[in-house]
Amino acid sequence: MTDFIIEHRAALGEKKSSSFMGVKLEVLPEGHVLHALAGSADGDLSGAIRTALGLEALAVRFVTPGQWFIVGDNALSHAELTGLADRLKPMVDIVDQSHGRIRIGLSGEKATAVLAKGTAADLALAAFPVGHATMTLIGHIGAHITRTGENAFELMVLRGFAESLWDELADMCAEFR
Amino acid sequence: MASLVPCPHCGQRPKEEFTVKGAALARPTADASPETWFDYVYLRDNPRGLYDEYWHHTSGCRRWLVVTRDTATHEIEGVRDASAKKEAAE
Ligand SMILES: [Zn+2]
Repeated sequence: MTDFIIEHRAALGEKKSSSFMGVKLEVLPEGHVLHALAGSADGDLSGAIRTALGLEALAVRFVTPGQWFIVGDNALSHAELTGLADRLKPMVDIVDQSHGRIRIGLSGEKATAVLAKGTAADLALAAFPVGHATMTLIGHIGAHITRTGENAFELMVLRGFAESLWDELADMCAEFR
Repeated sequence: MASLVPCPHCGQRPKEEFTVKGAALARPTADASPETWFDYVYLRDNPRGLYDEYWHHTSGCRRWLVVTRDTATHEIEGVRDASAKKEAAE
């Protein structure tokens, strides 16, 4: 029945991780991104999610009250996904966003300076410590930012915007070429 | 227009991240008179001073907020999650 074989292409397949003076832009693996949603906006379940799945701190990231992203570099099979979902019930439900959201790494001593050109979120270490995550705009593109180290961030963006955001970030890094 | 809005979930964010819905009014009961409903749906005061408005943090936490803004100075007096509105308003 199928006349065409679907060709899987990486959203940032044309892009190469690039190093500038003091800042590095990285294509991260299209592993898994699971959106975890609780029935109520009250309470922080991130710790309980980590415990239930045996995950490290940065694998579970705050999105908005009652919602988190569960993130990893490995792709999950359907069986693994339903297994995870079962272990999290009835605490949260998960929606697979692995093909919908793309991760980009930004690191180095100039990473904060680069990112500050695009977002109004306060990136000072005191206000945005390691492990903190938030949804914001980078230019006109909605993106989720996680601080993974003092000088390291992970950006997550809807797949269709990944290339545009990458190009904007490359422009923002240009002064450090 | 206030340009920095202190979101209770996200911290200070620029107004570009938000969508303003308008006056945060107490909803009449379902069996209220047509005049009361007409007033609620169509008629707005234009007060000088503090004004409660619904703002949606569209490009941030996507929560509905109630922003208390001074229409004369544009200063923001307070911001709270809309789900906490009733307790906070009393
Ligand atoms: Zn917010």
